[in-house]
Amino acid sequence: MNKHIIMITAQAIFLVLVIALLYSFYPRTDASVNGNWVKFNSINANVIIISENPDFSNPRYIDSSERKNISYNLKPGTYYWKSDNGIIEGMKHEIVIESEVGLGINKTENETDLVNIGNVKINVTKNDKGVMVGHIILEPDEAEKIEDKGNYTGRQAE
Amino acid sequence: MNLINKNKTGNFLKKIINSNKEFSRAEKRGERICLTKMLLIINMSRIVFCVNSLLQFERKQKQFLSMLKNQTRHTLQCMVFYIFIVLILLILPGVLSLGITPGRTTLNYEAGLEKEIEFSVLNNEHKNMQVMLMVQGELNSSIILYNSLVEFMPSEESKQFKYKFKVPDGIEKIPGLHTADIVALEIPKAGAGGSYVGATVAVVSQLYFNVPYPGKYVDADLNVLDAESNGTATFIIPLINRGKVGIGEVRAVIDIYTSLNEKIDSVQTDYYALEPGARTELTGKWNVKVLSGSYLAKVTVFYDGESRNFEKQFAVGTQALSIESILVNNFQLGEIAKLQILVENKWNQELKSVFANLLVYNNEDQIMADLKSAAESIPALSKKELIAYWDTVGVQEGEYNGKLMVKYGEKSSDKNLILKVSENNLDIVGVGYAIRPQGSAKGTSLTTILLILVILMLIVNLAWFVFFKRMMGKKK
Repeated sequence: MNKHIIMITAQAIFLVLVIALLYSFYPRTDASVNGNWVKFNSINANVIIISENPDFSNPRYIDSSERKNISYNLKPGTYYWKSDNGIIEGMKHEIVIESEVGLGINKTENETDLVNIGNVKINVTKNDKGVMVGHIILEPDEAEKIEDKGNYTGRQAE
Repeated sequence: MNLINKNKTGNFLKKIINSNKEFSRAEKRGERICLTKMLLIINMSRIVFCVNSLLQFERKQKQFLSMLKNQTRHTLQCMVFYIFIVLILLILPGVLSLGITPGRTTLNYEAGLEKEIEFSVLNNEHKNMQVMLMVQGELNSSIILYNSLVEFMPSEESKQFKYKFKVPDGIEKIPGLHTADIVALEIPKAGAGGSYVGATVAVVSQLYFNVPYPGKYVDADLNVLDAESNGTATFIIPLINRGKVGIGEVRAVIDIYTSLNEKIDSVQTDYYALEPGARTELTGKWNVKVLSGSYLAKVTVFYDGESRNFEKQFAVGTQALSIESILVNNFQLGEIAKLQILVENKWNQELKSVFANLLVYNNEDQIMADLKSAAESIPALSKKELIAYWDTVGVQEGEYNGKLMVKYGEKSSDKNLILKVSENNLDIVGVGYAIRPQGSAKGTSLTTILLILVILMLIVNLAWFVFFKRMMGKKK
């Protein structure tokens, strides 16, 4: 009976030790999203691996061995990331950079400009009296001169 | 200070009065000897009094002038502020803007799916406005929008709304993409005549609903990166399994053709397994030994004995401009820093109106500086320095994130940066996606560690079990 207790205690101690080791060696990194920026705050990670695919095919690596706080500008979309410190590869996390469709019209005395004020490429359709009469593709911050009439509807392209 | 002066003046007056009284008394008594001394004291006191008064007058004058100066400055500041307000009021009627986020929500088919989806309408200009919300598109009858007309106050930057989507009956028999548009339309304010004449804007939050194809079906695209002469181009093929069945192995072959339809090379990609609804990317490398120009990629995607073909045109030598270096000499925090950005035109034509735009972000990732250089023309295959100035008044020492964009025509070469600001130094270092840094070995995944642990525990327990079984047998 005593041997049983000793074995169970030994296994429990072994488990606690393994968990403690895992905890101390695990690459701890936090990510926070603000607009198009992702801020990685890593404690003991050397590399942050980012991919647009959950299987991490075609990944991109950010070196975090020297700088522990890294902000990165990403295009809208869903990204997967994990951190690595050469000992343990961390778990997979997901971040979403929301797309923002924005349209602005700037009017001056002589001209009217249509501006993409969002963060994605947009396809703008022009409707006049309910009939589609044309379309424009605008990259973020791109502007195009337009006629000051009709309705311009912007939707995410691609 | 004023109190001390008052006391001093009071003492002098007392002295003068006392000396005058003493003088009359002495005159009466005929004390002629003290007379000269008395007169001297009186005159001295008068001189001191005059000097003191003069000093006080000068001080008062200075105070008055400084007050006048302050008032003038205040009046000027008020005037500038009012002019600014008037200008804003004059400009505002000419600005129409509206935003919506997310631009797209993608859902995959699930039987009986009912989901509430959130979206936000953005009041970018912080103004009073009315926005009409409506649903359009193929799936419009499957969407319930809770709001139709909403009002924005200038203090409201954005407002969140919801709509409910219910999978329409029988849609599982129509595989492919089904869409709906949530339209936000700004209702323009009527003019003096009671009607609005002019352009209006609307923005759309799309709903993409994918119904899987029976069997195996792959959606594919092609992106070409770093296609420069004498370099290595990367072909990336993003794939999504739109079928109901998983794919054991998917790979692709890219055949490259000239504009005269002559095959010049062929590239094999890597391969992956692909679960239903999952996304992956195949990668292939190509050593570019051709001249700049337009080429055609004929892509064949092979998946478990089936294949799919598509074509896409791409250009070699599209990255016409590259950012070579950024130099900052004689930096002093609090002064205007001169940034020398060296760019190279790799194109065989002159590039006109090239300018650099550097955005510096603070710790909250808000733009704290937006610097632009003057626009320059860069001759073919040559380098040129673009100069931008950064006024560092009020900038604290520390590290800041930045983004450098060199714009030309409608294109832009971008670079992420870190700006390390100290009292006498500004270090600008690039941050880029890179190959796994050298010397950092790949760690063991947590799943592997846990698996090893479980196996170890199993072996220990099994050994323990065998050991006790034998012990029991021996005892018997």
